[in-house]
Amino acid sequence: MNLKFHNKKITGILTVLPENEVNFDDEIDNYDCSKAQSMKLKLIMGYGKRRVVKKGTTVSDLCVFGMNYLFDNNLLKKDDIDAMILVTQSPDHFVPATSHIIQGKLDLKQDMICLDINQACSGYPIGLNQAFMLLEQDEVKKVVVLNADIMSRKVSVKDRGSRPLTGDAAAITIVENDSSDNIIYGTVNLDGKGADALIIPAGGFKMPSTQETAELKTDKSGNSRSLDHLVMKGDVVFNFVQKEVPPMIENLLDKAGSNKDQVDYYMFHQPNKFMLKKLADKMGVPYSKMPNNIVENFGNSSGVSIPTNITYNLGEKLLTDSFLICLAGFGAGLSWASLLLEMGNLDFCNTIDYNN
Amino acid sequence: MEDFLTLIAEILEEESVELSDELQSFEAWDSLTILSIIAICDEEYNAALSAEEIENSDTILGLRELIESKR
Repeated sequence: MNLKFHNKKITGILTVLPENEVNFDDEIDNYDCSKAQSMKLKLIMGYGKRRVVKKGTTVSDLCVFGMNYLFDNNLLKKDDIDAMILVTQSPDHFVPATSHIIQGKLDLKQDMICLDINQACSGYPIGLNQAFMLLEQDEVKKVVVLNADIMSRKVSVKDRGSRPLTGDAAAITIVENDSSDNIIYGTVNLDGKGADALIIPAGGFKMPSTQETAELKTDKSGNSRSLDHLVMKGDVVFNFVQKEVPPMIENLLDKAGSNKDQVDYYMFHQPNKFMLKKLADKMGVPYSKMPNNIVENFGNSSGVSIPTNITYNLGEKLLTDSFLICLAGFGAGLSWASLLLEMGNLDFCNTIDYNN
Repeated sequence: MEDFLTLIAEILEEESVELSDELQSFEAWDSLTILSIIAICDEEYNAALSAEEIENSDTILGLRELIESKR
């Protein structure tokens, strides 16, 4: 589906990363693979450092820390927040919504809208879409979009397909109305038939966690995981991304009357280095316009990888300059979404560490 | 698909390969090699293969037939 938004803008992005860093080299012994294989994994997939929370830290902790940083540095006022959206697949509880827990912890006003959205790797454009729509309300002047996930808690320590690339993070994006007569173009698509391509089988209401669901089983590639863990069909996801993402971007640019060379940066979700390079090749976009260095430095933090990518790679530039930026998220659902927008002159665009 | 054998040899890190060679017999045969084959088939032959199909194709000839059936 094609979307169009008038007179909206992003005015600030903050990424919160857990300080705790893990190195692939230190974890190699957990995996059933040779030295040569692990070298290949590092080189091709970009396995390297990643940031993960310590046990006990939740999505609301990361978000509250980031929000307090903005309040303390006079970058955001509590009373100005009319709506707050949290996009996560690792909520503190099933009930109540984690956005409400955050609203309470921050002592925000009661006269506002808070909602959780259950989306994974396409969660950044989808959260922004929701914010743009809320801004159509007369009383909504400023929306906070929180993206946060701690999926490292749900990947098996013995799964070299998912574990070494999974990172945790939170991001805060401020969205407001704009008077410059701009148009933001977007797309959203999904295919629920591919729901099992990326799934945590147990732990919900359909299959509650028990001793049996926690039992580790080894697959034919030598990876061990339980039904409580995230499981990914890597080949299905790869083929899905190569098939759907290039035409999605082509269609987005077509609707916006732009061409691919006019786009300054393609700030895409960061599944791994390999997939991003293949995407850039297929789309005919130079690697310099499509950064792929987030997995090796911080890990893939699901829906938070796009804001992490923006603050890490474009942080300072976006304070003073303005660029035409294409965003794309794709993953669990299956779900794929994109946005084309002019972004720049932000009030803030940086990364901070959370000490836990 | 003239360059098929050259491409596959490159992925398998061998000087050259024969159509009758068994895929599992190569030292470089692992999940990353399978991923590389999926990628090259998408790029070069516009064919989407699954990891399971590749593993079940047994020989290099079987792999070539699989790709041809998907084009």
